[in-house]
Amino acid sequence: MPRWLYSVIAILIGISLGLLYGWVINPVQFVDTTPASMRADYRADYVLMIAEAYNGDQNTDLAIHRLAALGGSSPVDITSQAIQTAQNIGYSADDVSLLQELRRALQAYQPEPPTMEGTP
Amino acid sequence: MKRFPWEVIPALAVGIALGLLYAWTIAPVRYVNTAPNTLRADFKDQYRMLISASYASTYDLARAKSRIALLGDTDPVQVLSAQAQRLLASGQPFEVVQQVAMLADDLQSGVAHVPPTASTGTSTSVAAPTSTPAAPLSGTETPQAAPMETPTVEVVNTPLSLGTSTPRPTRTPTPTAGAPFVLLSNEMVCNSNLTNGLMQISVIDSHHHQIPGVEIIITWDGGEEHIFTGFKPDIGIGYADYIMHSNVTYTVRIAESGTPVPNLTAPGCTDSSSQPYTGGLHLTFQRP
Repeated sequence: MPRWLYSVIAILIGISLGLLYGWVINPVQFVDTTPASMRADYRADYVLMIAEAYNGDQNTDLAIHRLAALGGSSPVDITSQAIQTAQNIGYSADDVSLLQELRRALQAYQPEPPTMEGTP
Repeated sequence: MKRFPWEVIPALAVGIALGLLYAWTIAPVRYVNTAPNTLRADFKDQYRMLISASYASTYDLARAKSRIALLGDTDPVQVLSAQAQRLLASGQPFEVVQQVAMLADDLQSGVAHVPPTASTGTSTSVAAPTSTPAAPLSGTETPQAAPMETPTVEVVNTPLSLGTSTPRPTRTPTPTAGAPFVLLSNEMVCNSNLTNGLMQISVIDSHHHQIPGVEIIITWDGGEEHIFTGFKPDIGIGYADYIMHSNVTYTVRIAESGTPVPNLTAPGCTDSSSQPYTGGLHLTFQRP
């Protein structure tokens, strides 16, 4: 066997050992995760909590602020995804209705225009 | 005899380095389907506030309980109480603090206390309903215990027996939000295990729920002190205390509203060996 082949085999073994260590023995630890990385059903429940709170306070600004924790998608998209998940995993009709009500409020939401203070 | 191929050693090292580079940097293990118990501490706080806000709207205690369980806190009531104190100390709106404190209180009592509604004026207390959590809590996650909150307050007395949470079927009061506090009881406390001259103050609502964040003004000849309920959650979220001096007469009132309670002095007591010591007082204020 040519000597260069030893080196190639050694590199391949090393890569294998590195992957074994990095993926199995000591993988990157994600202990400080964000709500955006949660599993779909947890995300749906998170949105449902927002919808339940919204049902009580009718505060759309606060609901949008809370939805922002779930990532960069628009609040309507996040809520739509939650509705889809909720329907897929069998949420009650009442819960789905709350989510839909939140989505309707978000779709109808018109942020207040910025005031033009200081302009002549 | 063949020579050992020493060039294999650096090649192996290069291979391991490449493997780790790929495993840790280029394509690390991705946790895209995480559970709430892995959330960062501040997101857990946010999660609890959201559960509390949701609970304040639904009063579905079973659902709130199952959601809180997802965070893996070893003592959810203690964690919620501590969070309420932190929110209070950081100047968060009282409504937010109250939602978190209310959930802690209801989790502890196991009874959901529905406040009077403006339309009917009726109040109900309901046992934990049987509804199931919305999220199917399937999966194989094993919630890891969150670090215990360690309150830094010094415990100087025994827990109070407030908030008995007796279910009340119906009552028909008028809503009394903002009504003045009244002195419900003023008891002399002779307990040599307590700090001498300890004035214990408890503030509760009409359902015997303790109320955090209530400012209490204590005045005496030439002095004034402002204290707040809720800074000793291990005793009660509606609890506050103050050390009285002997031979000083105090007046206590709730800052928000309420009639001053004058002529309060530390009473004289005697212990089991007939030795005199300075006793304390226990005042309970209630918002009717």
